[in-house]
Amino acid sequence: MPGRPASIAAVLDRDLAADVLRAARVRGGDFAELFVEERVGISVRLDDGKIEEITTGQDRGAGVRVGHGVSYGYAYSNRLDRDALMKVAEAAAASATEEGAGDVVDLRALEPTVVHEATREASSIPVADKVAWVRDADETARSISAEVRQVSATYADSIQRILIATSDGRWVQELRPRIRLAVSVVAGRDGVIQTGFHGPAGLAGAEFIQANPPAETARVAARRAVAMLDSVPAPAGEMTAVLAPGMGGVLFHEAVGHPLEIDAVHKEASVYRGRIGEVLASPILSGVDDATVPNAWGSFSFDDEGTPAARTVLFEDGVLRGWLYDRLRASKDGVPSSGNGRRQSYAHPPIPRMTNTYILNGASTPKEILSGTERGVYVTALAGGQTNPATGDFVFGCSEAYLIEGGEMTTPVRGANLIGRAIEVMSNVDAIAADFDIWPGVCGKDGQGVPVGSGSPTLRISRITVGGTGA
Amino acid sequence: MPELADLCAAAVEAAEGAEQVEAYAEEQASTKVEAYRGEVEGLSFSESRGVGVRVIVGGRLGFAYAADPSLEEVRTTVARARENAALATPDEHNVLPATEPIEPMDGLFFESLAALTTADKVPIALDMERIATTADPRVIKTDSVQYGDTVGRVAIASTAGLRAEFSGTGCWAVVITLAEQGDETQTGFSFKIARRLEDLDTAWVANEAVERAARMLGATKPATERVPVLLDPFAASSFLGVLAGGLSAESVQKGRSLFADLVGERVGSEAFTLVDDGRLIEGPGAEPFDGEGVPTGRTELLTGGVLSGFLHNTYTARRGATRSTGNATRGYRSTPGVGTTNLYVEPGEPSLEELLRRAEGGVLIQDVSGVHSGANAISGEFSVGATGLRIAGGELGEPLREMTIASTIPDMLQAITAVGADLRWFSSIGVPSILIGEMTLAGV
Repeated sequence: MPGRPASIAAVLDRDLAADVLRAARVRGGDFAELFVEERVGISVRLDDGKIEEITTGQDRGAGVRVGHGVSYGYAYSNRLDRDALMKVAEAAAASATEEGAGDVVDLRALEPTVVHEATREASSIPVADKVAWVRDADETARSISAEVRQVSATYADSIQRILIATSDGRWVQELRPRIRLAVSVVAGRDGVIQTGFHGPAGLAGAEFIQANPPAETARVAARRAVAMLDSVPAPAGEMTAVLAPGMGGVLFHEAVGHPLEIDAVHKEASVYRGRIGEVLASPILSGVDDATVPNAWGSFSFDDEGTPAARTVLFEDGVLRGWLYDRLRASKDGVPSSGNGRRQSYAHPPIPRMTNTYILNGASTPKEILSGTERGVYVTALAGGQTNPATGDFVFGCSEAYLIEGGEMTTPVRGANLIGRAIEVMSNVDAIAADFDIWPGVCGKDGQGVPVGSGSPTLRISRITVGGTGA
Repeated sequence: MPELADLCAAAVEAAEGAEQVEAYAEEQASTKVEAYRGEVEGLSFSESRGVGVRVIVGGRLGFAYAADPSLEEVRTTVARARENAALATPDEHNVLPATEPIEPMDGLFFESLAALTTADKVPIALDMERIATTADPRVIKTDSVQYGDTVGRVAIASTAGLRAEFSGTGCWAVVITLAEQGDETQTGFSFKIARRLEDLDTAWVANEAVERAARMLGATKPATERVPVLLDPFAASSFLGVLAGGLSAESVQKGRSLFADLVGERVGSEAFTLVDDGRLIEGPGAEPFDGEGVPTGRTELLTGGVLSGFLHNTYTARRGATRSTGNATRGYRSTPGVGTTNLYVEPGEPSLEELLRRAEGGVLIQDVSGVHSGANAISGEFSVGATGLRIAGGELGEPLREMTIASTIPDMLQAITAVGADLRWFSSIGVPSILIGEMTLAGV
């Protein structure tokens, strides 16, 4: 079996797809959609110096959705033969109640406007090389300091091949190569334990590992853990916070992005509902959701409903400009989908999701921002957080942060939380640099995980509540 | 489409030299019908099959899986697993189990369930919703009414001579009702699981959900007090889930169990005996063999309150110098972990009436919230929200809400004074009503 999955079109021709769509529309409904997927991948897990598990997986399956209004019937199978697909179509159709069959328009191939090429397919690289990468990460992390206690490193690559056919005539194919090498390090000293993590990821081939060498990833993770061993309890109270490149994007994704997903808006669970055109962030802040960024972790050529990848302006000079739409809800609002209908796999129906959510570069420099800050915290890594999309309230833990004293980064602090409300905090952004960076992650919502990128340059929030345990 | 057993056999035949090869294959078809306001709100159907292959050479483990593979693809999957094994670090505990005779089990599969059509299933959910919204004038809405079923088959084969397979059916019903009175809303939950529709009694499920919501109307917040607490099977099952995690040898070996190093010691009351039994046909988790083909059996975990052992798969058993208890759990996409089959509290003698008499002046807890997020798996500390009913004159009295129970799992186990006869199954966890001598109930 070659590493690259066989073409889905080879097992599923347009006539069969059209038959499946017709079967899905026997009881009407607004539209029917067939999503077929094949995914092959490998993961290598190193823990405590040992290659614990190497897993090769091959998944395939198809899901059929019949939409009626904003509800739908959904059925799936991981068998791709005609019988299985027709059975799935009938099951998806069962929840439609209209009388009379709906039609199926001739399927026409849509050509992508943006293609994310892998220049060196990861599946062509021997597994031994991938094992060597995680071993290199392990050895490098341990070489950083004798205080490094535990290292775990995970490498994974996969190729997802998708085919989407819809009753309104879409025929879309895409190949999505994904690659990631992540390192987490535990450092200890006198009973104090600190952890550090770094995990670059891309929609790319093995060239991504050359650009992001495992040793460098390990160094970043190990330095984070070791640096935090010197930390003192974080101060508490209102103060200035400077967020390192990427971290403003994480905050933007959680506190601003989720309430801009249209399902939150429709459920009246969004702080931004009904406020398009209002100034709801600092006038120097512009932000986008952009699935067209070449080879970025959250990118694609088409979303999982077959809508071409797009760049959606969310904030322009502080003014709220747009929502993130999937197909069902866009149709309800009488607007085009913004290309944000995504799903974890064929076993999940698509829902509105972010892709790469970025705060754009500003006019300052990181040096100016830091030297212009008399006192505050500098946040280099955010840990998990919680947000309430209805109110915009959020709390984020900082896994790596430092005091800013007299315009310089000084002592590392632990236990710092950033606490605030989305609109107020985004309005308090008073400086944005031009040193944009990204932070890849897997965003979970309604039980589905999808790859997303968060990005931003260095930025400063003039006032934010820092919850800490120190004086 | 090849049979699962043929897929497994093809994998084992592809073994080379001294390597150990095991193939685990499964297929299942599931349906779920949701009813709301007299209509089908959602209907989902899913079907899947796949094979996972472990190759072990000199303690080196490699794994690969494939969804719905052909015989040729299974052979390729073996080659992939072999390639992966060659690069793994050796671990002497990585071995396939020696093959033991597997006693077949009757009563796991019912053709009557497998033969149901979607058209047969839709009215089941609709009927439950109708009963749930018409049985009591105070209960006219539902939060969720679902009927679901699964037909599944598992096959396994290995170079140790193992060849085994079995099929099973299962169906379940869940009803959550809303009782309303003025501005007040109370919810009532009921659930039942069976292997065939004839044993499910969906009308009973709907009626129980109605009763459990209606009886909570008018609930008030009690003063903080120390009283006898009777956990009904619903409430008790939430705690058992947390307990189960600490009884896996995997958690013990990774330092994540509150029971590590306590074998032979008293960790609960004499009234409390906890058993895992994969051969108990009444239990929804019954199966003749586990995820590695080891025969399932009966394992006492707590015997009269004394910790008697842990659940093991082959790996943890080797590492702990003991025998597998037949508790390897897995799907075809993963290597075997450790989990429960049918985990249940051995029922006692007292009827519910007797327990209520003995809990005079106390509280029956019918629902707890936040056990999974609110309990620390290692220390066993928890603080959970609870709702229930006052026990007065041997009967259930005024409804109570906004209570919290804060304790630790070990303290609660020690404080058990009686276990009821009313064993009830929630998925693969079985639990009767449990009387706790005294606990502090805090009005929030």
